[in-house]
Amino acid sequence: MQRIVVPGEELADKPLRIDNTIIDGGRTYSTLMALYDDEKKILTPLEGLWYPRGGDNVIGIIEEDKFNVYTVALDAPYRGLIFSKDVEGDLIAGDIIEATVKELDKTKTAMLARPRRLSGGKILYLKPSKIPRVLGRGNTMIRQLSMETQSNIKVGMNGLIWLNGGNMDLATRAILTIQDEAHTNGLTERVKSMLEAGKKV
Amino acid sequence: MGGGANKPELIVNGKRLDGRAFDELREIKIEANTVKNAVGSAYIEWGNNKILAAVYGPKEALPKHVSDPEKAIIKCRYQMAPFSSLEGHGRTGPNRRATEISKVTRETFENVIQLDKFPGSEIDLYIEVLQGDGGTRAAGITVAAVALATSGIPMTDLPYGVSVGKIGEQLVLDLNMIEDNYSDADVPIAISPRQGKVLLFQMDGSMSREQIMEALQMARKAGEVISKKQRDALRLPYEQIADKYKAVPSNQPQPAQA
Amino acid sequence: MKTSTITGEYIKDMITKSYREDGRKMFDYRPINLKIGTMPNAEGSAEASIGQTRVLAGIKIDVAEPMADKPEEGNLMTAAELLPLASGDYETGPPGPEAIELARVVDRGIRAANVVDMGKLFIEKDKVWSVFVDLYVLNYDGNLFDASSLAASAALLSSRMPKYEKEGETGKVVRSGNLGKLPTANIVTSCTFGNILHRLILDPTANEELFIDSRLTIANDEHSIRAVQKGLNGAFSFDEIDEMMDTAFEKSRELRQIIKKAIGE
Repeated sequence: MQRIVVPGEELADKPLRIDNTIIDGGRTYSTLMALYDDEKKILTPLEGLWYPRGGDNVIGIIEEDKFNVYTVALDAPYRGLIFSKDVEGDLIAGDIIEATVKELDKTKTAMLARPRRLSGGKILYLKPSKIPRVLGRGNTMIRQLSMETQSNIKVGMNGLIWLNGGNMDLATRAILTIQDEAHTNGLTERVKSMLEAGKKV
Repeated sequence: MGGGANKPELIVNGKRLDGRAFDELREIKIEANTVKNAVGSAYIEWGNNKILAAVYGPKEALPKHVSDPEKAIIKCRYQMAPFSSLEGHGRTGPNRRATEISKVTRETFENVIQLDKFPGSEIDLYIEVLQGDGGTRAAGITVAAVALATSGIPMTDLPYGVSVGKIGEQLVLDLNMIEDNYSDADVPIAISPRQGKVLLFQMDGSMSREQIMEALQMARKAGEVISKKQRDALRLPYEQIADKYKAVPSNQPQPAQA
Repeated sequence: MKTSTITGEYIKDMITKSYREDGRKMFDYRPINLKIGTMPNAEGSAEASIGQTRVLAGIKIDVAEPMADKPEEGNLMTAAELLPLASGDYETGPPGPEAIELARVVDRGIRAANVVDMGKLFIEKDKVWSVFVDLYVLNYDGNLFDASSLAASAALLSSRMPKYEKEGETGKVVRSGNLGKLPTANIVTSCTFGNILHRLILDPTANEELFIDSRLTIANDEHSIRAVQKGLNGAFSFDEIDEMMDTAFEKSRELRQIIKKAIGE
């Protein structure tokens, strides 16, 4: 049985090693709005920020061309950085890119690798805590979305989603539904019927 | 405070002017996620107070010299709208009172936000009093805590605020504007309910040591109600969406969306 | 840096197909909501929303000295605050050029259309009523002008009128009890257009505002145009201006209905 917890709410009367908790006086408390499963001892954030990890795929917007590096806005407390030598062709401020986090350096800058410029389309800003649900287990949800809408969709762990082509309206509506209902049962099925209904219109 | 020739009778037949008992809060309504553009937000109606709070960030702290390489900084702005009172048009822009309230509010949240998780960044907290009727700093802290919780910024607790006042020798909970204007003392308090500790504590007027201790106890007791309002505002929207689909097993066709 | 959630290519593609990001036609408004009396401490108040844009207008009325050139008329003062809570792009500090332009354009419409009957705001020699209109932007998603003028008009038209009671040499302002209404004489609304790739759109969103190269706000009542403001560094043709005035007269009928419904007329 899962319950919704708020910051400061007790999870257990003993110390547990779980992310996004604090241990105080031998008890464990959540630091976020989250779903907590008392039996499995799993805390799933409902609201949460993005902490870059090596290998994370991100979507960002080029901020500045600083001769040998580009700075990238990631809509996060961390700024992205790309070495110009890793870039094929030219990037200019305002360009949307997809890239992979190499590492987070000491100054809290996310070093990015393999930048790919994304042209056209639009960006959705989602809460980063909802991104895992947009991807789905083994990326099943996002594959289904792309297939049914014929839209090219790139998902950033930082909460930005880029889409272009196909039925973008339907894809957008489906993604926003996933954001709003990320914590509910039967979401995959509902999104599926939404996509099927949307295609017929 | 305390005075004036036209001081109204604030307690009649053991009841306050608005009919409340001495330890009774005004009605409190909180709604989460009320400012679409913000990272986190909430709105509170506490009696006739109407306050909107919103959070932006954490983002890179600017200008650079204000940033702290060890932790995030909080920038807090509490402000009253020029049309917020029953009196005349208020002055716009920051004044000394608003600046002080912004500072003590910021310090309250510095205690509970895990600032060390975001070195070099800033968190912007805005508290806009659209209508004020006494106790706005306490209500502002209460609603700001909810806004912060919706932002996903990690916090070790959900603090709340409340004020306790003194009318004659009687301690009363949650002064409204008219009581505040003519009371003999006012103590705004913010409490971390998990720790049971005091995060904001101010006093103006005259009180004995015993009365201060009693005021703190009253503030703690009021927290049972206020904290529940905060938690419900955060939880209920999620539970309502979840309940909508609970009855339907996930392998069955779903009802048509409204 | 202002960042858009839509790219130039995408906007271009949409506009050439006469389609907006939210599925609207070029001269459609987003859904409009208007509610009066949301802040009862103020003499008048109204919150207007157009799509996700939300503006709260609050009215306060005080006793003041008249302007030297109009000794028998009341004063009107309009201010706008782009609250930093309303957008990640807004900053704290004194009102910038954008907020001042917004306030002045709304003010001109109200003044020129005689929404407030200024001649009835005289109290006695050297004493008149001063009406303060404060516009509070609570969430920004484009077209602040039209949301602000809706909120301001509705707040003024539903505002209480304080009383001035003489007490010997001085007097006091009575703000509660049995009060009349602020004397008003007209309704003004505004329609704001943008120009993207030589196509005109009504009611631009925040995304669209980043791509329009000129903007035109037309404030009018039933019969005449009362205020105009062209913004940004692009240009309009005479024909475009003609088309926008036509559209403004047509659309303003709906907007006036929305105001009348909100104030219960």
